[in-house]
Amino acid sequence: MNLDMILFFFFSSILLLSSLLIIVEINSIYSILLLVLSFVIATSLLFLLESEFMALIFIIIYVGAISVLFLFVIIMLNIKITSSIKDILKYFPIGNFLGLVFLIEILFIIFDNFKTNYYTDSFLFNFNINWLYKLDYITDLKALGQILYTHYVLQFLIAGAILLIAVIGAVILTLSPRKIYVKTQDTFRQVSR
Amino acid sequence: MLFFELFKMYDTLFFDDSIKESIMSLNEISAVFPEIFCVLAILFLVLHGVLLCSDASKNFPLIQNSILNLGILILIFTFILICNNSIFLKYSFFNNTIILDNLTISFKQCIVVASIICLLSIQEYLDDQKINSFEYIILILFAVFGLILLCCSNDLITAYLAIEVQSLSFYLLAAYKKNSIFSTESGLKYFILGAFSSSMFLLGSSLIYGAIGTTNFEDCKDLFFYVYPGNVLNENFDKFSQVLNLNLLQFGLVFLIISLFFKLALAPFHIWSPDIYEGSLSSSTIFFAIIPKLSLFSLLIRLFQCGFYGFIDNWRYCFVIIAVSSIIVGSFAGLEQRKIKSLLAYSSISHMGYSLLAFSTGTQEGIQALFSYLIIYIISGLCIWSIFLTLRLKNNYLHKGNKDLSDFVLLVKSNSVLAIFFSTVLLSLAGFPPLIGFYVKLNIFLSAIESTMYFAALVSIICSVISTFYYIRIIKVLYFEKGLIGNLYYPIKYKNTLVIGFCFFLFISLFLNPTFLYFYCNKICFILNV
Repeated sequence: MNLDMILFFFFSSILLLSSLLIIVEINSIYSILLLVLSFVIATSLLFLLESEFMALIFIIIYVGAISVLFLFVIIMLNIKITSSIKDILKYFPIGNFLGLVFLIEILFIIFDNFKTNYYTDSFLFNFNINWLYKLDYITDLKALGQILYTHYVLQFLIAGAILLIAVIGAVILTLSPRKIYVKTQDTFRQVSR
Repeated sequence: MLFFELFKMYDTLFFDDSIKESIMSLNEISAVFPEIFCVLAILFLVLHGVLLCSDASKNFPLIQNSILNLGILILIFTFILICNNSIFLKYSFFNNTIILDNLTISFKQCIVVASIICLLSIQEYLDDQKINSFEYIILILFAVFGLILLCCSNDLITAYLAIEVQSLSFYLLAAYKKNSIFSTESGLKYFILGAFSSSMFLLGSSLIYGAIGTTNFEDCKDLFFYVYPGNVLNENFDKFSQVLNLNLLQFGLVFLIISLFFKLALAPFHIWSPDIYEGSLSSSTIFFAIIPKLSLFSLLIRLFQCGFYGFIDNWRYCFVIIAVSSIIVGSFAGLEQRKIKSLLAYSSISHMGYSLLAFSTGTQEGIQALFSYLIIYIISGLCIWSIFLTLRLKNNYLHKGNKDLSDFVLLVKSNSVLAIFFSTVLLSLAGFPPLIGFYVKLNIFLSAIESTMYFAALVSIICSVISTFYYIRIIKVLYFEKGLIGNLYYPIKYKNTLVIGFCFFLFISLFLNPTFLYFYCNKICFILNV
């Protein structure tokens, strides 16, 4: 077990734990902070896989923009902490049974698939390694750009259309010409609560 | 010096091919020309609307109706461009991510025509509900764009993006009326459940990519078309199957199928649909109920008739069980409904079940039956929903959007022609003989029996008889109810009568000469899986 594997198991166990805690945690501020933690850990996993660009994008977009936005939203809302233990007890047996069955199924398939390298026994196994392919010539960003702007240019444009729809939707759902339905920030209530 | 050598080698290795491939010829762009035109026109429409709406010197004009007419114009031009795409057999473009064949083009045409008719029939309703912002039409146009893109996608990434375009605009259409609790609730429900199923799709496609290293259906076909790796016919393939473990691939396909069935509202995944149909605006519901089914089925066909054709044997049991259970659910749960929108939702669940039954046969005849059934489903859906939207009751609650069955009491006294049309469509949906609905349902049962699915065919025939009850109950309400007080309706616009009358005459004329429909559907599934 080399350092890579040790780091991988360390990070992934923290990731699993924190993502479990996000759901279990009752206080929403804590669960947002745990979400940030899980994003950071996922970033370090991506760094281990040597995809630096995706890792940095993760930090910038998920942590820098989305989680901070969530935090602001939670500050604005008046959320009371309620205990949901009753509901958990009600749905615990059936939900956990289904979840366990599914988890076992996934684990079977994963252990079946990633146990060995299938190629080692087969005649298709390639003994020659082309070292030219193993070298990094270009950076991540360049490689992604080369693929994205040539082979997948259409998909890139469609993604732009999706963003436009999201912008239009945000405008529709929040902006209203009549002032009756608009929820505004009541500073006094917010400070005094 | 060595570095230079290396650089040159690298240049020849990586750059030459990719650059040669990536230079797009005009031909490639012309393949997606309808989509490109559609998006560009929508962008201009957004600009036009924003600039005109916020113009204080013109007193902030309401441009809802003019934008709707412009939207119809855009769709007509898109239709012409789609017809202009002449093809011979089959082409694929953009690195095999876009495919053009008869299936694509016919489905695109059907979708565009159906959405033109929908736009024509919702105009009155929008005025009635005081939906005065022009973004509504733009979202509908975006949804149509996503749907016609989904028809021609030959790649999991493109399909996912197209589904996202379509479903994002559908969530917004469901939640559009902000001052109605029902509408916002249904929008939120639709958003959460739709996002869940989209994430299932993503998980499934990532598992498939992990298993076989490609997301392209063309490559999948090259891998699996001739021999399914489980039952080895070819000796060379035997060596291949040691390497390739298919469990992971099957596991990914489970997720894909669940997500697509979720979007189609088939039986174990159907619970969202009556709720959302009931809650959202009727002008949005007409789109949810009719249009997306066609392109989702086209994606299913691309998956299981082209990409993973060998796998349909493994999936047949699952498909048949889901189809039969959704037929049963649609027929029995519909009996209890008093609101006409949720009744139509259950009816659409059972119709999707019949279509899936035809799809699960996997034969040419089954696919042909599926196409003809879907086309007739769309026509009857258009007719029934536009009747539903144009019949505006004169009552005291102006904003009442939902209709009970009792709102149609003795329609025959106040508008006898419309009552005849309405009952004809209902009978055609139920599958009565002198109408086209009978033929297409017959075809589905025939194709199921021909591929020896006797029990499934028997159960679905019985359920079809049961579901006839609730169609006939509506006809009873229209004609024979003993009511002392009839209802009064607002007069119907000329445009809407044209739409309804056209659909009505289509039912009868297609029954007299169904060859046209059959020929059209045969043309679609000609060389589908080559």
